[in-house]
Amino acid sequence: MADLPISTHVIEFPYTRTLGPVLGPFLTGLRDGQIYGIRSNDGRVLAPPTEWDPLTGEPLDTSALVPVGPGGVVETWAWVNHPTSKHPLDQPFAFALIKLDGADTALMHAVDAGSMDAMSTGMRVTARFKDERVGVITDLVFVPEGGA
Amino acid sequence: MAGANEPVEGAGAGEQPVVMMDYFMHLEYHEVVCPIVRRYAASLMEGKILGQFSPKSGLVYVPPRSYCPVSCEWLGEDNLIELEDRGVITAFTIVTPVQYYGQEETEPFAKASVLLDGPGGMLSLQDILEIPPDEVRIGMKVEAVWLPESERNTDEIGNRSWGSAAGAIVGWRPTGEPDLPAETFTDKVY
Repeated sequence: MADLPISTHVIEFPYTRTLGPVLGPFLTGLRDGQIYGIRSNDGRVLAPPTEWDPLTGEPLDTSALVPVGPGGVVETWAWVNHPTSKHPLDQPFAFALIKLDGADTALMHAVDAGSMDAMSTGMRVTARFKDERVGVITDLVFVPEGGA
Repeated sequence: MAGANEPVEGAGAGEQPVVMMDYFMHLEYHEVVCPIVRRYAASLMEGKILGQFSPKSGLVYVPPRSYCPVSCEWLGEDNLIELEDRGVITAFTIVTPVQYYGQEETEPFAKASVLLDGPGGMLSLQDILEIPPDEVRIGMKVEAVWLPESERNTDEIGNRSWGSAAGAIVGWRPTGEPDLPAETFTDKVY
C-alpha cells in the first residue's frame, strides 16, 4: 500500500445552525461554566436538555433549566486509543456516558483519564472547563474526580 | 434556574447569549488511484491526452476507465488511444461567482464541455481562456493551453476525476477557425 499513489479529496460545508430555546441556554451555560439539564414533565432532570419530552413528545417548559454537575458517574465507556483530528482530545481518552449529579439521564462526553486502566464503570468524574470558552460542547472535558 | 431569555450567571455573565453554533463539515477522502488513471495522469505530464475507445459502443472515454458501461465490456491496453488537444465547444455555462466559502473567483467565467477532434472524447467543466465569457458559443473551435512541463502537477486527478485534465491543461483558447455546425455533434452533448 505504502508506495501506491493516493489521491486526496476534501469537501467542506461551513454551516452555522441556530440552537433554539434549549440548546442555546445550554451552550451559553457551558460558556459561563455551568452545565444545565431540563425538568421533564414527569419530574426527571434530563441532561443534556431537550426541547421535547422524550417519552411523550410533549414540549417541555424551556424556562425550567436546572443546574447539574459538575461531578457525575460514568455509566459506560469506550476507550479511544488512536484519536483522529475529529476527536476532542489529541491523546487517548474515553468516550463515556456520564450521569451528572442532579440529573436522571446521561451525557456523552470525553474523559481525559490518562490511561484505560484509570477507567471503570461507576467511577466518579468531574468537569474541567477550559479557560477560554465560546459556548460549544468542547468547552469542557471530564476528568476522574480527585485527579487523573 | 436559568430561563431561555435571561442571562446566566458565571464567568462570562454579561456577554450575549449563545444562539448559533458553527457546524463546519470537513470530509477528507483518501483513495488509491487505479492504474489506468495513473497512466492517464502520467500521459498528461508528457503533454498527451490518453483515452480509451470501445469498439462495441463507439464511445471514447477520457480519462480511460477500463470498462465501457454502455457495451458492458472491459477495456484494456489495446483500447488506449492518444486524443487530440483540439476540439469544439458543445455546451457551456457562465458562472457568476457568489462569494460563498471557498469561492476564489470574483468575475464571471465560462465552463465548457469540449469534444475533442478525431477519435473524440469529452472533457467537461473546462475553462475557456482569452475571450470574455459572453463571447463563448457552441460550435467554437478551441485548442488546449498546456502548462509548461515543469509546472504540471496531476496529483489532484483521482478515480472520480472524469473529464478532468486539471494540473496539466490550464484551459482552452479559440483557434479562430470557422465554427462547427451544431448538427455535427448533437449526439455528443453531454
